Amino acid sequence: MDTILSVKDLEVEFSTYGGTVKAVRGVSFDVTRGETLAIVGESGCGKSVTVQSLMGLIPMPPGRITNGTATLNGKSILNLPAAEANKFRGVEIGMIFQDPMSSLNPTMTIGDQIAETLKVHRGKSDREAFSMAVELLERTHIPEASKRAKQYPFEFSGGMLQRAMIAQSLACNPAILIADEPTTALDVTIQAQILELMLELQRTENMSIILITHDLAVVARMADRVAVMYAGQVIESGTVDDIFYRSSHPYTLGLKEAMPSNTHDRDKSLTPILGSPPDLFKPPTGCGYCARCPYAMSVCAEHLPPATRISESHEAKCWLHHATAPRIKELHQLDDQDAG
Amino acid sequence: MSLFEPTSADFEPLPRQEKTEQITRPSLSYWQDAWVRLKKNTRAIISLGIIILLALFTLIGPLLWSVNPALQNLNQVSQAPSWAKSAVIIAPYQDWDGIRLEGYTSPNQIASAVPAPTGFAMADTPTTQRVRLIWDQTPGADGYNVYRNNRAPRDFNDLGLPLGSTYGNELSYEDRLSLEPRAYYYSLVPTDGYDEYEVYSQLILTPVLAITPDEAVERGLVTDPSEVNIGDDITIEFHPFGTDYLGRDMLARLMEGARVSLFIGIVAPFLFVLVGIIYGGFAGYFGGQLDGLLMRFAEFVVALPFLLFMILFKIAFGIGPGESGIMPMLLALILLSWPSTARLVRGQVLQIREEGYIEAARLLGAKDHYLILRHIIPNTMGVILVTLTFAVPSAIFTEAFLSFIGMGVAPPTPSWGSMCNEGVKTMLSHPHELIFPAVFISITVLAFNLLGDGLTEALDSKMRSRD
Amino acid sequence: MLAYTLKRLIAGVITVWFIATATFIAMHQVPGDPLMNDKAVSAEIRANLEAKYGLDKPVTEQYFIFLGNMLTGDFGISFTQQNRKVNDIIRDHFPVSATLGLLAIFFAATGGVLWGALTAVYRNRLPDIIIMFLVILGISVPSFVFAALGQLFLVNLNSLAGQSIIPVAGWGTFSHMLMPSMVLGLGTMALLTRLMRSSMLEIVNEDYIKTARAKGLSPTRIFFRHQLRNAILPVITVLGPQIAAITTGGFVVELVFAIPGLGRYFVQAVQQLDYTVIMGTTVFYGAFLVLMVIIVDILYGFIDPRVRLS
Repeated sequence: MDTILSVKDLEVEFSTYGGTVKAVRGVSFDVTRGETLAIVGESGCGKSVTVQSLMGLIPMPPGRITNGTATLNGKSILNLPAAEANKFRGVEIGMIFQDPMSSLNPTMTIGDQIAETLKVHRGKSDREAFSMAVELLERTHIPEASKRAKQYPFEFSGGMLQRAMIAQSLACNPAILIADEPTTALDVTIQAQILELMLELQRTENMSIILITHDLAVVARMADRVAVMYAGQVIESGTVDDIFYRSSHPYTLGLKEAMPSNTHDRDKSLTPILGSPPDLFKPPTGCGYCARCPYAMSVCAEHLPPATRISESHEAKCWLHHATAPRIKELHQLDDQDAG
Repeated sequence: MSLFEPTSADFEPLPRQEKTEQITRPSLSYWQDAWVRLKKNTRAIISLGIIILLALFTLIGPLLWSVNPALQNLNQVSQAPSWAKSAVIIAPYQDWDGIRLEGYTSPNQIASAVPAPTGFAMADTPTTQRVRLIWDQTPGADGYNVYRNNRAPRDFNDLGLPLGSTYGNELSYEDRLSLEPRAYYYSLVPTDGYDEYEVYSQLILTPVLAITPDEAVERGLVTDPSEVNIGDDITIEFHPFGTDYLGRDMLARLMEGARVSLFIGIVAPFLFVLVGIIYGGFAGYFGGQLDGLLMRFAEFVVALPFLLFMILFKIAFGIGPGESGIMPMLLALILLSWPSTARLVRGQVLQIREEGYIEAARLLGAKDHYLILRHIIPNTMGVILVTLTFAVPSAIFTEAFLSFIGMGVAPPTPSWGSMCNEGVKTMLSHPHELIFPAVFISITVLAFNLLGDGLTEALDSKMRSRD
Repeated sequence: MLAYTLKRLIAGVITVWFIATATFIAMHQVPGDPLMNDKAVSAEIRANLEAKYGLDKPVTEQYFIFLGNMLTGDFGISFTQQNRKVNDIIRDHFPVSATLGLLAIFFAATGGVLWGALTAVYRNRLPDIIIMFLVILGISVPSFVFAALGQLFLVNLNSLAGQSIIPVAGWGTFSHMLMPSMVLGLGTMALLTRLMRSSMLEIVNEDYIKTARAKGLSPTRIFFRHQLRNAILPVITVLGPQIAAITTGGFVVELVFAIPGLGRYFVQAVQQLDYTVIMGTTVFYGAFLVLMVIIVDILYGFIDPRVRLS
């Protein structure tokens, strides 16, 4: 498999009045061609900051990338000046955001906004770029595309706007589409349509997708591989099956417990994860999940757990995978089965 | 970290912490919180200090500086600012004969050139009553011109004010032209009776500030001329901000003017904001058709050209003889300014009425008056306070503007605006008469504006969550 | 858009009617005798004058005559300058005031947008601090002080040059207009700069600016195409009311610079209690301002598609 994007040990912090927030604390992941990587986690875990720092979108100051590398097709993309960054932004990586209503310029027609990307990166003439914009809108299944292209964002519905956003991000046939919570602001029925559209385009364009979400249902439907983030770190990563059927971190387990499912026993109530994530002004010295973890041990509070390789594709950061750690039924069932 | 190898003791289960969330910040009420944040805003706090100083200036100032602002003194018109000073009591003015040469005859031939005069000196101690100059005869000259300058002359063409001419036999000159206790550069140029020779002598002197016993009585320093002796030092009244075109003390007038300007500037906003609150609250709370009607009317009032109608209403309410015109202006301001507050309050009330906590309170059985007193009024107070703070500078501006074009308070009542109006006429010669009232207006407006900015930030709940 | 314009115009006509009525009521409250300047005249002439101005009729009838005259655009004859029609006075003096006002608005708007954008770019750095300090001064110093200072500056400039480069007072050429219109626009310019700055800073944080950066647009293009254009919108909305403030604020500048504008004439008319001139100019000004606000609103519609199309 050829890796397009490779992120290693990324660390991002923000200086605020209250002190320095360490929003991302050493995140690493790879994206290979044509696959969908989902980054999952609750709000504030650093998933958006991670992708925005790759795109050079975090405001600096107060933001700061303090460590790590990110290479796109072998070229470093971190901390580039705007002129350099614009060689890949919108060209090799397209991006769509959570709220399509506010993510498009309200005083510019949809067609013009899509055409703008083509004019800037591909040097197309006004007319050529606009007719290509109409084609892109058609590809995202917007009816009456040529008429719609002349309309303004406020004349579009939320779902239509997200389609237009996707059309815009696809203008230069990017290798990667970053979708930052693309369906959070949309109705459930529209959500399904947008996800379907993304899957379809991924197939036809052979494009990779980095999907940022907190919704496990979306992950289950879209992702090939999953990275679970907690308190600025990836605490578990693996294929979608690894994560859902062989969860190896208590946090992932907790997330699953908290998710409603139609395969679940109807009498079984949902179990919320108690407490809230740690304050990243003062990141804990040990495991970030320690205070909320039902299996917390004395080592967890003091030392960061190392990454343990559970299988070829599967990694988790938890002390429970240490050889001397007690066996927990929920986490080790598969190991035990394999062993037995 | 990679070197760390845990032992089995490290894998003891931790006891569950029951308390997972802690409130670390002390809880503050809305106003406490606003005050804490206002205190952090240096500009707003300095402005608040300036406003307090202005209030003291207006209220306590006249007690400390008890000069009558209406007292005219035509001897001291448009004087520049000066500090406390003492004067010497001198005898009343007596004629001085000067020096005249006996048996002088004019030169029978006009000399082509003469030397610069010699012996140019003062006859006695110069005072602000008079400066007496004497000199020696210049051979060949048949007259002399005396000049006075406030600074060192650059050359022959820059000798300053021509004071007078003397004949060839007069070797003295007495200067009594509005002397001040400051350095003067006197120049003496010999003439042939008509034309000047291009030579001159110079004398620098500073007259002593002096008044006669009669003047001391006139100025109210003593009640009887016999109370002072010739040669005594006496502290005379002074004008730290100078005097105006009628010789009135500027400081006293600025204090009196502050009363008028600040009275209008603070009372008018209070009243029209109050009217606006009642009107807007009424419309917003009851809503429906009444609301539509009331607000339509408010829109009409907003559309009236403000300053034109200020003038119209002011003359419509009229000024009787001896009245200052403050009340008509106040009334006109209220009549024209209430709609903006009314709209604001109505909007707030409409918004708050729909809030969930009002609904919740209602479900818990809260009555209308409880909702108004406990929820609606406290929640609109912040916005109203900000409006009020910004209304003050605009009211002060309006007063100043109207007084400046002669449509404001009637003379002799001073206001900062009318003082500017008087000052602008003598702007070129006596700039202090315009500068002082203008600076007072500007500082007041500035202070209220900055305080308003600070309050907006301190009370803005959006800002609140940021720190 | 057409329906919107029509609706605004009808509302405007009603507003002008309200202004006219308020003017009429106010003027009939003014104590004193409208003909007091003619005290010396005999009872006979007085009766003639009263008939001429319609003062012998009951107030309600006077009101309807007044409204009728307003409709036909006839403001009557001046009380103090016999035989001079108010219409002629307006025709002679209004263009001067309008030129001054529009020039001032032009200065204020271009300056405000320019300085506001500049401060946003240099946020919290020296240019921003200097400009914002000047803005605070511009908001806090009354216009007549600026007028006086402007004149003082011209006096010094001319005496320094030894000749009259820019005339200190009067009206006629463009050089006459320069200083008064700048002085008149200064306060509004300060206000607009502040507004533009905060509007720019707000838009920097908008999602669509982030989108534009993610699209790989250059910072210059983002600044001009996306940020500036959207930031100007709120500035334009306050332009209507500001035109009103500037035209009436012109009184002071006209007085200080001895400009023969309608404002100066109005002040004079009020001092002489010239009833017809006061009423005529007030209603005329009111109508002009209402029209200006409507024009700005419609103009705004052309720039902001959200207004134009809804």
